[in-house]
Amino acid sequence: MLGHTRAAFRAGLGLTMIFCTYAALAAAAAPPPKYTLDPARSLLRFSFMQAGASNTGRFSKYTAEVAFSNDNLAASKIDVTIDIDSLDTGDKERDDTLKMPDLFDVKKFPTAHFVSTRIVATTAGRYEAQGKLTIRNVTKPVTVPMTFQNKMEQGKNIGYMTGRAAIKRLDFGVGQGDWKATDQVPDDVAVTFSLRLTPVG
Amino acid sequence: MPIRNTTVRWGAISQLFHWLIVVLILTQFVLANEYNHLPLGLAKLGVIAKHKSVGITIFALAVLRLVWRALNPTPELPNTLKPYERVLAHITHYALYAILFLMPLSGWMMSSARSFPVSWFGLFQLPDLVAPNRPLYDTLHTTHDTLAWILVVVATLHLLAALKHHFVLKDDTLRRMLPFTRTR
Repeated sequence: MLGHTRAAFRAGLGLTMIFCTYAALAAAAAPPPKYTLDPARSLLRFSFMQAGASNTGRFSKYTAEVAFSNDNLAASKIDVTIDIDSLDTGDKERDDTLKMPDLFDVKKFPTAHFVSTRIVATTAGRYEAQGKLTIRNVTKPVTVPMTFQNKMEQGKNIGYMTGRAAIKRLDFGVGQGDWKATDQVPDDVAVTFSLRLTPVG
Repeated sequence: MPIRNTTVRWGAISQLFHWLIVVLILTQFVLANEYNHLPLGLAKLGVIAKHKSVGITIFALAVLRLVWRALNPTPELPNTLKPYERVLAHITHYALYAILFLMPLSGWMMSSARSFPVSWFGLFQLPDLVAPNRPLYDTLHTTHDTLAWILVVVATLHLLAALKHHFVLKDDTLRRMLPFTRTR
């Protein structure tokens, strides 16, 4: 009689522990959904000053692998790789100049890369992606203020991510020789993005 | 010298517009020649930026000059002119005024068409007049260059006419556009 009770108690305790562990795991660490880029409906642009006037360009080839959930920012991650050769400022001569060894040196450094190390919420729907940006093989920490929103479109959970990173081109060596001068082309460059992300799997 | 024009003499403001624009146009030719001989690079960008800024300055002065002209009497052409000379003088003057507007405008449009926006001495940026368009840029570039050559021809004619009035006909035509001189 006593033996039965003890066995039942042990079994109950075991089940409870399993259940609690599972519940705790589920609450704390539902993995964030993964997304990939919808290139046709995304925009990655950069703007810089040149001789007192603001100029803009865009990249047409880049990839973004994103895992994002407001409920699990700790496991959220943004990973973007940009094909520098795809830059387009609306003028071929200027594009070719940007690709030369003194600027992006696209032959030697064909890609730029951003990977987040930590994403924190600032206000509702707004975040700060802290991470590492690599251009010309120079890696620097950057903080990117951004927004992330989900929309259900035809039964799919689509992610919309926008943001703007303020960077200094000379931090990455984009400007060697004459191009180190900042009177005609200042150091400050802004990279803005508006990405449409489709769920993976 | 009076500030305003009279029917026989240009006033101080009109003279200032005239000679300031002459100096700025000569500057434009010097700058254009300078960047045409520079390789693509920062130095060239800097000189082109100056050329654009001076061009916009000329455009603004041309607008003010035309307004001032409308508000003032215009000195009459000398009555010694033959009819065809009067026509030629009018054509020359109209052409010069037209070029004062067309050259900066075509230059500004060129910049927009090639997506190199115009800034006035780095102080403020002007809006783009047309959307980026390479063939349009090429057409505008040709127009801008052609206008420059027309300007050289018409301005030379204008200068020769002024010198003829001064040295051959010995009338006041040139003198009335010069400061510190007395008209007879």
